[in-house]
Amino acid sequence: MNFKKAIIVFRKEILEMLRDKRTLFATIVLPVILYPLIFIGTSSIMSRQADIIEKRGATIALLDSLSHESPDAKELYETVLQTLSETPYVTTLEDPPHLEMLYEEKEILAVVSISDTLSAAGVTSYRADVRFDASGDQGRMLFEKLQKSLGQVNSIILAKRLSEKGLEEEYIHPLTVRQFDSSSTEKKMGSILGMLLPYMMILMLITGAAVVAADLVAGEKERHTLETLLVSSATRSEIVLGKYLTVFCMAMINVVINLISISFSVRYLLSQMGMADQGLHLPIKSFIILLFAMVPMATLFSALLLSISTFSRNMKEARTYEQPIMMVSMLMGMASFIPSMQISNLLSLIPVINISLLFKAILIGEWELSHLLITIGSTLVLDILAIWLTVKLFHTEAVLFRTEDDGSSLKSQRKSKSGFFNTFNGAVYFSLALVALYYLGTKWQMADLVNGLIKTQMYIIVLPVFVILAFLKVKGSEARKLLRVKAPKPKELLLVPLIAVSAAVTVSIVAQLINQVFPFPQDYLEGLGKLFNLDVPIWQMFLVIAVMPGICEELMFRGFLIRFFEKGKFWQPVIISALLFALFHLDPFRFIPVLILGILLGYLSSRSGSIINSMLSHTINNSLALFIGLFAEKSWMKFIVVDAENLRYWVIAPALVILALSLWAFHRVTRENQASLVFEKQAGSSQEE
Amino acid sequence: MIEVQSLVKEFPKKNGEKFRAVDEVSFSAAHGEIVCLLGVNGAGKTTTMRVLSTVFKPNGGSARIEGYDTVSQGDMVRRNLGFLSGDTGLYMRLTAREFITYFGRLYSVEDQLIKTRMDEMATLLDMHDFLDKKMEFLSSGMKQKTSIVRSIIHDPPVMIFDEPTAGLDILTARNIISFVRNCRENGKCVLFSTHIMREAERLADRIVMIHNGRVLAQGTLQGMRTETGFEDLDDIFVHYVKQTGTELENHEF
Repeated sequence: MNFKKAIIVFRKEILEMLRDKRTLFATIVLPVILYPLIFIGTSSIMSRQADIIEKRGATIALLDSLSHESPDAKELYETVLQTLSETPYVTTLEDPPHLEMLYEEKEILAVVSISDTLSAAGVTSYRADVRFDASGDQGRMLFEKLQKSLGQVNSIILAKRLSEKGLEEEYIHPLTVRQFDSSSTEKKMGSILGMLLPYMMILMLITGAAVVAADLVAGEKERHTLETLLVSSATRSEIVLGKYLTVFCMAMINVVINLISISFSVRYLLSQMGMADQGLHLPIKSFIILLFAMVPMATLFSALLLSISTFSRNMKEARTYEQPIMMVSMLMGMASFIPSMQISNLLSLIPVINISLLFKAILIGEWELSHLLITIGSTLVLDILAIWLTVKLFHTEAVLFRTEDDGSSLKSQRKSKSGFFNTFNGAVYFSLALVALYYLGTKWQMADLVNGLIKTQMYIIVLPVFVILAFLKVKGSEARKLLRVKAPKPKELLLVPLIAVSAAVTVSIVAQLINQVFPFPQDYLEGLGKLFNLDVPIWQMFLVIAVMPGICEELMFRGFLIRFFEKGKFWQPVIISALLFALFHLDPFRFIPVLILGILLGYLSSRSGSIINSMLSHTINNSLALFIGLFAEKSWMKFIVVDAENLRYWVIAPALVILALSLWAFHRVTRENQASLVFEKQAGSSQEE
Repeated sequence: MIEVQSLVKEFPKKNGEKFRAVDEVSFSAAHGEIVCLLGVNGAGKTTTMRVLSTVFKPNGGSARIEGYDTVSQGDMVRRNLGFLSGDTGLYMRLTAREFITYFGRLYSVEDQLIKTRMDEMATLLDMHDFLDKKMEFLSSGMKQKTSIVRSIIHDPPVMIFDEPTAGLDILTARNIISFVRNCRENGKCVLFSTHIMREAERLADRIVMIHNGRVLAQGTLQGMRTETGFEDLDDIFVHYVKQTGTELENHEF
């Protein structure tokens, strides 16, 4: 690695960036003008509204609706009149003629009517009714002014009455409440900025880096300059490093400019509001710590976005692939908006969220070094992974010189069945099934749990598989081969129950351990309990909860869906289909247990070439859960079961031993299957051609 | 000196099978000689040249440039190699001078030497007028001249031209052709790929015919004429293709 060459690449890229008007605009000009526009714009609009009354003035009417001519009433009315007359920019007319007309024409903006009522005990109380148009800002601001003035009337009269009786004000206010805010002005400022600033900075960092990253590799591919660069005597690592430094630098420039622009705007805003005089200044020291905390985040996103750019064929594709990452990061960046969320050692491990919360803590001035270090450390680990990925991609010919997809239409795919089973179609199919499950399945199950479960399995899980196969005109032996419908060997059938039971126990213990860390909510457990308290005979429950899912879900996931993700490797389709299987359960608390189960089931069917094995295993797994749920309370179950959800921990030991041994045996038994599996795959792929 | 021995390059297809783009190709080229890789589009010319320029790693056989292996001594290979192709892009926001200097530095050429060589070449190719203009404002001829200087700024002993005249007008193409001849006169080893028979006829000292990733025939034009009895290179090419029994398919040439 020759750093000099990386620097040559870096300098050239920066020069090019600085000459690109779009990049310059996005990274430098936009932030410089954006914040003044947002901050100063909104504040000037607000103050202009206030100006309207002060410049134009407002005329109001004062009506005397008092029924008694007592000295008290007279005194009250006089005081009100006097106070209103002294209210700045407000002209008061006493009982003007054509009042209604003037009010309609907005010559008079508010009507204050003073009235009195006599209570049964003989005490007179006075009231001021204020009529105004609350739909306009002007009306609301005028009301605020009037409310303040009328409020003064109370204290004026009170003070007068007290002095007449020779009493001090303390006589009626024995306890005075005063507030002493112990938070510093910096902290107050920080708590306001702490909500908004982290999000803005993360947003700006990512958008800034994304523009540059897309240009640097995908752009070079698009402009046919990459090959020339690869042929030059700079190594690929040097090229990656130079480009990586460029993205990082531009991202940091963006951050610094944003921060400076925000500082100036806020400072201007504060002085406009007169708050700077009260000692409210920007926490400059915190800003400098912020910049340091931003560095690992900038390195991470530079590497991540650069790897996306390397993977993409052109800039348009790069921007498309960048979208999801940007969306997720922005959502995570919003962590600072959640009031009760505070940084902890655990949260310091999660990218983006850690920076967002750390920023908030720094701005309030309550941050710990450990959080800063864990955040930087964990980000750096991810960072190194991302750089490694980029360099690896740069060494992968298939990625650097990806050719255009033939983009065959669904119609032509059907005709030749060519390439129908690709990742894109798989994702679309799965998404549609998920949407159907979410909107139809849950609705059916709410209406009637047993029927709903049956309908879900039939119409959402199994039916589409056969509809699509019919559309592709795949039938008979071809369909059976595709879905791996093949009788398993007797030895496999002997081993599968052992694997299923030991795996179910192991996974159940894993779920319990997860429960310890992230406890399940109570209503969730109750919903789960409902499954075992169906109002139907046990054999029916067995069919609905164990047998049907065992057959139907296996057909969908291990038979059909897995075929969309086959790209020559064994584990890739198994793991992807298991991930989708776990997602399909729409249950974050069971995600990891179901994922483990899905991987096991995928292994069983793919390894042996027979879906019957995974169907059997799935059915046994669900039966076991049903069995424990039903009989957990029985005394003869107590030695292995705590309650319906919890097994005793000691069972993990024999379960793991049996699982390991039976899997090892299964692996051996299915060894010769591998030959026929390869043949089967080739048959499948030639059919796809 | 270029030595290619039983070179194989495969690409994975979507269904997991392999596609052989280059299949046991062997040939060599010496200094002061122009060797022409002749074949229709998709014959494997560009893939072969990409393996030679270390962009691709071969799946079998070996390729050597000036005795350096393209896999294990990639860095030395790139130092000794100038590469120019017809669809090479340029950095539009740089000037021609900046562009050439950038690559000169990447090849570790001293700044002073870059300047001297650039001046020499600029005089030769009549480039002084646009050397300091941004390349987005240059004509395709000016761009190609810039690319030529870029490819030779480190004075490599071996030059590889991958369809360098593709998509260029006649005048610009003539510039390239005379530059290729110039390289030979300066004792460089030149490998030149094209699908245009006339170009091969005019330039090549020796011709290597490639079809479907395999070498059909190689030798001097005169030798091929004698062997096949045809005068025209088109006819010679078709003759060799038919001889191997491979389908001519729908290629136009």
